[in-house]
Amino acid sequence: MKGVVLDDVALLMAESDTVATAIDDLDDGRRIAGEGRDLSLSEDVPFGHKIALVAHDPGDEVRKYGEVIGRATDPIAPGEWVHTHNCESTRGRGDLAAAGEEVAE
Amino acid sequence: MSADSPSEAAAGDFEGYRRSDGRVGVRNDVLVLPSVICSHLVAEEIAERAGAVATPHDHGCAQLGADNDQTERTLVSLGENPNVAGTVVVGLGCEEVQSDAVAAALDERGFPVREVAIQDAGGTDACIDAGVAAVDDLRAETDAASVGGASLGDLTVGVVVDDLAESTVERANPLVAGLADRVLDAGGRVLVAGNERYAAHPMETRARVKRSAESAVDAFLERHRDLPARATRVSADAREAGFDAATGFAGDHPLADVVAYGERAEADGLSLVDAPSRFEEAATGLAAAGANLVVHVTADGVPAGHPIVPVLKVSGDADTLAALPDDIDVDAREADAADLVDAVRDVADGRKTRAEAHGLTEFALTRVGPSM
Amino acid sequence: MVKTFEGYRRANGRVGVRNHVAVVPTSVAASSVARGVADEAGAWAKATPHQMGTTQPDATREQTARVLAGIGRNPNVGAALVVELGTEDIDAESLADRIAETGKAVETLSIRETGGTRAALARGREIVAGLNDEAREARREGADASELIFAAECGGSDATSGIAANPAVGNACDRLVADGGTASFSETPEFIGAEHILAERCADDDVRERLLERVADREGMADMMGVDLRGAQPTPGNQEGGLTTIEEKSLGAIAKGGTTPIEGFAEFAEELPVGGGLVPMDTPGYDVESVVGKVAAGAQVVAFTTGRGSTTGNPIAPVIKVTGNPKTWDRMANNMDVNASTVIDGESIESVGERVYETLLAVAGGERTEAERRGLEEFAVNEVQPQELRGASAGAGAGR
Repeated sequence: MKGVVLDDVALLMAESDTVATAIDDLDDGRRIAGEGRDLSLSEDVPFGHKIALVAHDPGDEVRKYGEVIGRATDPIAPGEWVHTHNCESTRGRGDLAAAGEEVAE
Repeated sequence: MSADSPSEAAAGDFEGYRRSDGRVGVRNDVLVLPSVICSHLVAEEIAERAGAVATPHDHGCAQLGADNDQTERTLVSLGENPNVAGTVVVGLGCEEVQSDAVAAALDERGFPVREVAIQDAGGTDACIDAGVAAVDDLRAETDAASVGGASLGDLTVGVVVDDLAESTVERANPLVAGLADRVLDAGGRVLVAGNERYAAHPMETRARVKRSAESAVDAFLERHRDLPARATRVSADAREAGFDAATGFAGDHPLADVVAYGERAEADGLSLVDAPSRFEEAATGLAAAGANLVVHVTADGVPAGHPIVPVLKVSGDADTLAALPDDIDVDAREADAADLVDAVRDVADGRKTRAEAHGLTEFALTRVGPSM
Repeated sequence: MVKTFEGYRRANGRVGVRNHVAVVPTSVAASSVARGVADEAGAWAKATPHQMGTTQPDATREQTARVLAGIGRNPNVGAALVVELGTEDIDAESLADRIAETGKAVETLSIRETGGTRAALARGREIVAGLNDEAREARREGADASELIFAAECGGSDATSGIAANPAVGNACDRLVADGGTASFSETPEFIGAEHILAERCADDDVRERLLERVADREGMADMMGVDLRGAQPTPGNQEGGLTTIEEKSLGAIAKGGTTPIEGFAEFAEELPVGGGLVPMDTPGYDVESVVGKVAAGAQVVAFTTGRGSTTGNPIAPVIKVTGNPKTWDRMANNMDVNASTVIDGESIESVGERVYETLLAVAGGERTEAERRGLEEFAVNEVQPQELRGASAGAGAGR
């Protein structure tokens, strides 16, 4: 597997990533330590879903695979679950175009 | 005209299946409805093993916005068709049009329904077994006996006309118009497909509309402005031939509504279903709108039937009648409107159409956006 | 040493991995007869029923004809029957001619000329039996891996697709390209957010420009429909599986093409070269249509990664299902061929990639996939929609 496994339960694809991927169903409160990181989950995170490694402000880039995969829509603290409720795409936004807004790159 | 003996039903009545919402079905099949192409072979297999009908289609995922909505509402409306005794929705699990949402929509409206999904069941083999069990279960719950005393006024007749050939315009359309007028006069409903025919003649279309339908018709015409037609040849021919030739099958009644593709028709009287003059797509739109059966005028002799609605094939084309003697139900050169009414009543009473007899059906949906 | 397999060498030099008799309808009006003919005949006869109308706008019709001709031309097809009602704009004779250019036996059947549905079913069965007698003369013989065109597809993706299954299939693509073969991946909407990585790998500016243009076109479809692409991409199953945005899905999706230079960029269903290296294709992300596009382009074998567990196959090309999700492997083993979830337990991508490559060669040599065993043969033609043609100059190419 490419990337680094954190504490047997989360996969960090690239060093610059702001999220890691759960490779098990993880419970609220689970501590993930090692590889110079130490955080605790503040909610359940299912297999395959993403965990914030760093604090994000709204509008901050969310990075995985060493690339931008979207931007935060809410403040996200380390240990929080990152998904569609707090992260959105910046691409293919015909809804914004239809609303006459500028589509951010 | 068919040589079959006249219907046993007396005084113009036929035996149908009265549904809980009061509508009458002319067939009593359990429908196995895939929500997505990925489950359509599984759905067909379930239907074959359980003696039900299936509507395999190529859609249900990677569709955007209005296009996705149209597919989903069409599937739900098919489950509401009065010919359907109950529906088993079959999903994959990860698709856009989710089988549980389709099933929930039917359940909410009081229609008998079950749902199975390949990923939930643990693969295709297990899903087929679960689906067959669901059909049996549903059939036990919905075992409706046919009841006599239904009449022309209980029927919703769908009409789709393939072309503007001379035989169609001169011979077949007047028969169908006669049928439409009689059904409407009796208090029944008539649904016509052929959006490009009306879109080609906005002025004339507006002049033949009930006041209550004016805004629906205006919206329809706006939707089709500058939009290339799906049935290209019909569109060009309709423009050239004029409104009367293009829509001569619809009879004398004004349009009471325009029904979006995949919606259930709500208005009494004559409604235009926003479907192209392509038989397979139109038949699905008409079935979704609530048609009990479809009268299909075809100079070319397009032969397939439809899984949910019996299809009466009408042709006035001498070559086609000679070439496809076993596929056409009504020879428009010889029949009159009364004959067509009798044929419709016989089919409503359970007589198989030619397409039902040879057993080949085709099922297609209209799209309004590209696959993503 | 270059790997080998046993296949059916066709008159035009291409090598088939199956020896089907294809039954190809020219329109929806002939589809049920085509299906009826093939169903009765036996497992060697493969129908490709579809829903395209008897008349279509020019650009739409051209694409339909290209797909249908490509299906007949695919080297997995030993002989073909083209079925028409007899009034379609796409006529059976000219479609048959395009297929016959490859040197295989082709017949046509007109429902009208034969005397209707029942007569056409009976006549069709006679014709395909005769075609099968001819096709059966072919024998498997030694062929090089370099003669394979391998298509990579993903569907029902989840987070494991980008971590395990796609990189493993990508590794198999790298191995095939190193052996001199052709690999193709597609699904242009799933390049969105990752196109800069692909652009850097393009062999020349022309390929790069075309690729970027097509990605912009696909993204523009969301604008055309006035909606957020997320309505369709990622799909609900993708999102449940942990994929949040199209960018995330794309970055995982492009891994299935491997890491070699991008030598060309094919239009939908455009014939792929033999020995061409990595040549992606412009297709929708809609997996069934996308697979059909690459098979119509000549791909003999497909690898299809799926985290959630898509079960679809194809009538003409065997489809190898690869999952990176351990739960899917456990629950849906009957529908999966290769377990890539071992990556999560520590098996290297290279090792799983080698297993995928060995499976590809075994399947090319005749081993049946789970989808083949179950008769899962989904087929659909991607239709260029009137909405895409609105305002476009008349008859503009592929219309996108």
